[in-house]
Amino acid sequence: MEEKPVLIIGGGISGIQAALDLGDMGIRVHLVEEKPCIGGRMAQLDKTFPTNDCSICILAPKLSDCFRHPNITLHTYSEIKKVNGQKGDFTVKIRKYAKYVKEDECINCGECNAKCPVKVPDEFDVGLRNREAIYLYYLQGVPPVMTIDREHCLFFTRGVCRICEKFCPKEAIDFDQKDEDVIINVNSIIVATGFDPFDPTAITQYGYKRYRNVVTSIEYERLICASGPTGGHLERQSDGKPAKKIAFIQCVGSRDVKNNRYCSSVCCMHATKEAMLAFEHDSELKSYIFYMDLRAAGKGFQKYLERGEQEYNISYIRSRIANITEDQNENLVIQYDDPETSKNKKVTVDLAVLATSLIPRSGVEELARILNVELDDYKFFKTDPLNPLDSSRPGIYVCGCCRGPTDIPESVAQASGAAERAAETLFEVVIT
Amino acid sequence: MTDTVKIFSDLNREVIEKGICGKCGGCVSFCSAGNLMALEMADNGLPRYLDEDKCKKCGICYLICPQTNTLDSELQEKFAWSPPIGPYKKIVSAQTTIDDVKAVCTDGGVVTSLLLYLLERNMIDGAIVSKREGFKRQAMIAKTSEELIEAAGSGFSGSQHLEELGGKYTTYTPILSAIKSLEKRYLHDVAVVGTPCQINSIRKMQCLDIIPAHLIKYTIGLFCIESFSFDDLARERLENKLDINFQDVVKLNIKDDFQIALSNGVKIHVPLEEVDEVARPACFACRDFSNEYADISVGGLGSPDRYTTIVIRTGTGAALYDDALKRGYIQERVIKDIKEGELETTRILAKIKAFTKKKRNRAKMTLEGLK
Repeated sequence: MEEKPVLIIGGGISGIQAALDLGDMGIRVHLVEEKPCIGGRMAQLDKTFPTNDCSICILAPKLSDCFRHPNITLHTYSEIKKVNGQKGDFTVKIRKYAKYVKEDECINCGECNAKCPVKVPDEFDVGLRNREAIYLYYLQGVPPVMTIDREHCLFFTRGVCRICEKFCPKEAIDFDQKDEDVIINVNSIIVATGFDPFDPTAITQYGYKRYRNVVTSIEYERLICASGPTGGHLERQSDGKPAKKIAFIQCVGSRDVKNNRYCSSVCCMHATKEAMLAFEHDSELKSYIFYMDLRAAGKGFQKYLERGEQEYNISYIRSRIANITEDQNENLVIQYDDPETSKNKKVTVDLAVLATSLIPRSGVEELARILNVELDDYKFFKTDPLNPLDSSRPGIYVCGCCRGPTDIPESVAQASGAAERAAETLFEVVIT
Repeated sequence: MTDTVKIFSDLNREVIEKGICGKCGGCVSFCSAGNLMALEMADNGLPRYLDEDKCKKCGICYLICPQTNTLDSELQEKFAWSPPIGPYKKIVSAQTTIDDVKAVCTDGGVVTSLLLYLLERNMIDGAIVSKREGFKRQAMIAKTSEELIEAAGSGFSGSQHLEELGGKYTTYTPILSAIKSLEKRYLHDVAVVGTPCQINSIRKMQCLDIIPAHLIKYTIGLFCIESFSFDDLARERLENKLDINFQDVVKLNIKDDFQIALSNGVKIHVPLEEVDEVARPACFACRDFSNEYADISVGGLGSPDRYTTIVIRTGTGAALYDDALKRGYIQERVIKDIKEGELETTRILAKIKAFTKKKRNRAKMTLEGLK
């Protein structure tokens, strides 16, 4: 008898790694992703620490491996609606939303979205540019097919237009597609739903959304990325001039009694990486990292920070930020308390980057309810110290940022661990 | 569903052939911005098919026309429209503080100053304004302060039509999506100064989230009783009637009446009814006097000489006005006596309401006459 497959929820780096590991073991996998393409947060990053590899370059081979793997079935633009049963025998209902594009026909030529008249903020580029109502989720997205966003498509909202259909050379547009529910039976489930970035607008002293030259880390990643909205040119939003001095503000929403008490664990490292990238673009650039404590516990991480200070013109300033204000030219004045001298100091910079904390994904409570598993106080999936990849329910495993803020190397390790736990469930032998 | 979509041929029959097309150019700007290239503006200013075979029958031109009503209720909801003159947060009189603007402006020079503020603060990359060429006005995109001041002056016909934006936009639109993703968000922020019909079409496009109106971040609307088309015939009639030579006209303005300033310093006041014959007939079918969907509406009505009446309508408009005021681009008319100040605002409001009523009644009669 053929073994039952494993369900993986979330197509980011963790879910992809778990899927590949299981697939390579000969176990069938259903990988469910709510976005039109797999790739997740890692696809949005420009480079990764501690090697400064191009993020999409090391991710893309895994994306296509997943896409072509004979043991992996991808369900993109899909959601988990219902889960019944128990370990070894879960029945799962997956809702596959209609993309209104025939996946087998679309060749991703771009004729349709070049003609689509709709412009709405692009989610992948965190609103830094517009996309059309028919779109590819991101340039290197897998599967490489277009999706029609029915919330904004003028055919769905007003019954007009259909311009994409008239220009598509492959007749791949299909407005008659319907959402489908797929029922599958699986042996076990791996949850890898990742994180959302914290919205710092409410921390008013940092001026996010009020000052044009204050951005968040995720916005910065898109701005410095060659395939991002500015083609990788790090320009100030206020005047398009290149940034020469950058302040990185750490713990924005993390280790903060008013927001999230926990440490987001990856920010000291990614701020250093982001400062290094800016320096690589412009060797006259100066960066300041304003931190509470430098946390660099991973393998090779401490050395990375030292390199930042010695080779990349980064000053690490232990401090508490009082506030950020703007001068006449929209430069940012960072006012901070220096705990060593107990003095109030300030530095003027061209751009400020807020290292926003990693928070549980929106909708995680609903998913936990469907899965009938427990969340911890911060709404990450609850795990036990000696069973760190097991959820509160047997047969459901968790890995990556949905169980707590985790960097990429650690997420990959956890994914392999979760894959192993799921495989164990399949091959469990009862010894009498 | 597709069979019922109204397209340009319906627009032609329902609006253009009936003589109520305001020549705002909204339909053509959309069609050319999308690189569909089925429509163009004819020499007489009316839209027409450039190449009917290229028409994709998408129906968008019909929806965004100020003279069609499909999107009206949605528009009212989206912009929190309320009777009788549309939404407003504040009504004030103000003037420019900039000498170069004072030298050329019609009223208080507020429009030019607000646009200068937006350009100098890098809030926009360009402003669509109109520039006087002889007796006609030509739409242009001003990208520098110099171009703006050059375009300033008798501003009643506003930007001639929106087609300009469509054309400019097309040249900037790369075809493939890969290149498209490189489009910088802050390269394409535009302010528009326009008549009510133009702003109405822009707002309808914004309701649909479509090009090229997604570039438009600020709308400054002109009060508009009617636009005048000074073709040779109309000019001759007006010259005979008023016993003037158009060569001597330095400024045209509408306050409570039609005002013509001559180079010898003489100012002629003419009742508006007397100049109706040079107004564009389509304007008689328009219901909007005070530019009810703009971020900020402006006009001479109600303010003393050298001042502009300003109706601040949206949050965007308020932020723009307040910051321009704070940074000294404009100054507000100060009436020391608080009661007198309130009274003055009431007087301005009453005048706007009266003109609005007049225009609405006229439109009602015109449209009934067409039935």
